[in-house]
Amino acid sequence: MHAGTSTHDAHEVHGHIHPPPEGFVRKYVFSLDHKVIGFQYFFTGLLIMFIAGSFAELVRLQLTEPAGAIMSHTAYNEMFTLHGTAMVWLVLIPLVTGALGNFVMPLQIGARDVAFPWLNMVSFWILPVAALILFSSMLFGGPHAGWTEYPPISLADGTAGALWCMAIFVIGISSTMTGLNFMVTIMKMRAPGMTWTRMPLFTWATFATALMNMIATVALSAAVGALFLEHVFNIPFYDAARGGSAVLYEHMFWFYSHPAVYIFILPAFGVVSEVLPVFSRKPIFGYKMIAFSSMAIAILAFTVWAHHMFPSGLAPWLQLPFMILTYAIGIPTGIKIFSWMATLWGGRIYYTTSMLYALGFLITFTFGGITGVFLASVPVDLHMHGTYFVVGHFHYVVAGGAVMGFLAAIPYWYPKATGRMLSERMGQLGFWLFFIGLNGTFLPMHWLGLEGMPRRYASYVAFAKAFPDAVFWNRFETVFSFFMMASIGLLAFNVIWSIKHGKIAGINPWGARTLEWTISSPPPYYNFKKIPEVSGRPYDFDQPLPYRNTDNELEQYPEFGQVTMPTPLPVGA
Amino acid sequence: MAQRIVPRPKEVQFKGLGPNFWAVTAVLALLSIANALYFMYGSIDWIMPGASHPVADRASDIDGLFKFMAVFGNAILIFVAGYVIYFAIAFRARPTDAPDAVGVQIHDSPKLELWWTVLPTLLLILLTGLSINVWYKIQFGTGAPGLTTEVIGHQFYFEYRYPGLKTSVFSKTEPMHLPVGVPVRILITSADVIHQFWVPEIRLKQAAVPGLIQNLNFTPLRTGTFGIACSEFCGPDHSLMQGKLIIEPVADFNKWLAGEKKAAAAGGAAVDLSAGNADAGKALFAQKCAACHNNPPTPFDQKLVGPGLLHITDDPAHPNLVDGKPPTAANIAEILENGYTGPIGAMPNRQANGLADKDIANLVAYLSSLK
Repeated sequence: MHAGTSTHDAHEVHGHIHPPPEGFVRKYVFSLDHKVIGFQYFFTGLLIMFIAGSFAELVRLQLTEPAGAIMSHTAYNEMFTLHGTAMVWLVLIPLVTGALGNFVMPLQIGARDVAFPWLNMVSFWILPVAALILFSSMLFGGPHAGWTEYPPISLADGTAGALWCMAIFVIGISSTMTGLNFMVTIMKMRAPGMTWTRMPLFTWATFATALMNMIATVALSAAVGALFLEHVFNIPFYDAARGGSAVLYEHMFWFYSHPAVYIFILPAFGVVSEVLPVFSRKPIFGYKMIAFSSMAIAILAFTVWAHHMFPSGLAPWLQLPFMILTYAIGIPTGIKIFSWMATLWGGRIYYTTSMLYALGFLITFTFGGITGVFLASVPVDLHMHGTYFVVGHFHYVVAGGAVMGFLAAIPYWYPKATGRMLSERMGQLGFWLFFIGLNGTFLPMHWLGLEGMPRRYASYVAFAKAFPDAVFWNRFETVFSFFMMASIGLLAFNVIWSIKHGKIAGINPWGARTLEWTISSPPPYYNFKKIPEVSGRPYDFDQPLPYRNTDNELEQYPEFGQVTMPTPLPVGA
Repeated sequence: MAQRIVPRPKEVQFKGLGPNFWAVTAVLALLSIANALYFMYGSIDWIMPGASHPVADRASDIDGLFKFMAVFGNAILIFVAGYVIYFAIAFRARPTDAPDAVGVQIHDSPKLELWWTVLPTLLLILLTGLSINVWYKIQFGTGAPGLTTEVIGHQFYFEYRYPGLKTSVFSKTEPMHLPVGVPVRILITSADVIHQFWVPEIRLKQAAVPGLIQNLNFTPLRTGTFGIACSEFCGPDHSLMQGKLIIEPVADFNKWLAGEKKAAAAGGAAVDLSAGNADAGKALFAQKCAACHNNPPTPFDQKLVGPGLLHITDDPAHPNLVDGKPPTAANIAEILENGYTGPIGAMPNRQANGLADKDIANLVAYLSSLK
């Protein structure tokens, strides 16, 4: 109870409520409100997702012909580089930490804002600046060396490569600041009574993510900072001919970029841990193991980076510890998956859009996790490294894990954010489009890679000669990739359409029990008029709500079903 | 706090582990067994080319590890996906339930959680053992090389060097040749950016990193023609960086190599060592050799990467060169020409070091002048 007492004191000191800001600019542009900043991240991220997704579609269209269908090798290389860079740094990290973390986390812990609202605003405004820098590089020929931008090949990008470094360096500042901000917020601003083991699991995931964001990003900044100096001032950090080392960059890059994968995926784990209990009307199974496994993953994530470099110039004996540690990270991940399965067992399951995405996540993410074990094994990786198997694996993890988790979160918290429900009909159609599109696009990549198709190939004439089926499968993937694009388009339409036409949501349409569902939808400027007191975990559906001193008169046993759902599966009663 | 008093919601009821639980489990188990049988006895040539007729000595070890993971990995996937779908259907909310009914209110089960922590851990420990075994074979299992060749990556072709062959073979015009049944060591480096040398049927790949010499060791097991691909992005025409590998009987290989040597001898004259300039050689040494050999030169035992070269021609403790030949100008030139691979390390050849004929003459003059 010590933590509860100290946070209580903090609220006594700052207990008064400031009036909301006046004027368009302070309200919507340079807002300090974490909810508005969350919206800003959401719409910016979604816009960039369209751009980066279009690049991916151009990549897919190019591969419908073995010799390359629509563009030159140089243009193709630029497209996959910008697709990867923008998706990782300007879409996924801002969406899962910036948008979801900002909007949901302070509400879940009963706080009126994040710890440092000014820092939060600056963190957001760095994002469009970084996006402008990155996309402006296209005026200088664009970066070409893949999202990893390994030197020495990336040094051939010249000005565009230097701009790439700048964009990544700048967005890194934003990530670090957001990480720091969220850590302090979660440590110091929880509502009285909300001990660590009463924290909602999304907040746990956000905490683990913030820790990684804060620690790992620095290594990336150093790596791209040095690359920038090599671009602009010709200082030979990575040039072997002048005493540098190309492998050094790979180490520093992956020291960040492996944890980065967990930065995307942990918030998605958090979302799934919220959505599954609510729509199963059941407590989350193994709360402590799920919370602790998030922390275990966050810590282990720092010890596995060199598994990206097995055939790249690593001392052979050094391959073994990285292999074993990578295997080890499968254990906490497995605990999570089994706990989620057990949460479903004996539930009373409602098929909402969020739930469908969470169920789909369990299947696609498990698939991506298992192929990850294949890649962790040094001998097998010597065959698979640098092939389409890797591309298939990480898209199952990122699109089938992080993005599916994010798509589960949108319909779940949209009613809280706007006061209206998203259309379930459009949402569920969107789910099936995404799920089928995802599997159709990324599943064939696994066997193409094993047969011998390397990634980042603008043309594959020799490979198609050896494996004539490759042309069929590449066209197959291209067709299905448009399903995903259609699904995201439908989501964007749904989000805008439902602001006006969605059903009125009310305080708690899902019968959920975390703190954000005790205040009105959308929440008032300062979230909680009175800071609530917490006396238990938010997952016991047969118990009265564990809150006192709430703003609204609440149902003791919040009931699901104020909104009726169409049932997507053709199964009777 | 004025809260309305409402009756506590009731849990849904069902018998045992749920309707059809054991039937579903049996189906999933059968699917897993079918998957295991397929990977144990079926042909996986369609995903792993050449799996049924291994092309190199490590290919079947790596395929064995792959099959082990496919057996257990697919089984885990079958059970997870199967149970998720089954639970989602079997425990769906029914209109006949009370509207506020909730699921079974269990929070955890330490016993179950222990099982699903311990079993995967044991499986991963077993996998670690198997992986280390194959790793050990890859590192040490091939034995002393009967042939050492060199592969140098360029944008966008591979250059192959063979012992005693003064000219290079280039992937753009000629295939790489290897003898069947002879342990091979391929030294790999790059002249410009990072490349990667990969023959899918051999199952091994290694990056060609500028400034590093790395190696691949294997014994080709059967003859045939296979594709070589660059699998690390290296520039605009990365996807055109392809080669062919011909694995052939030793006699054919020797015939081919002899033919190449003859062509090379007809084409170029031997390097004229008499015109060497020691001062030019000294400058060149600082530029080309100092990354691995101490500069200024030190006695033999003061190594950087390679040995110190101060008394290369008059060291009583080491009367011969590292290749066991007397330290004559011609023998020093031969090492510069062909490179060296042996117990004390590896040195790239003249192509990798970018040495012209007159550079070799100058370096030999400089090294011979060191006393």
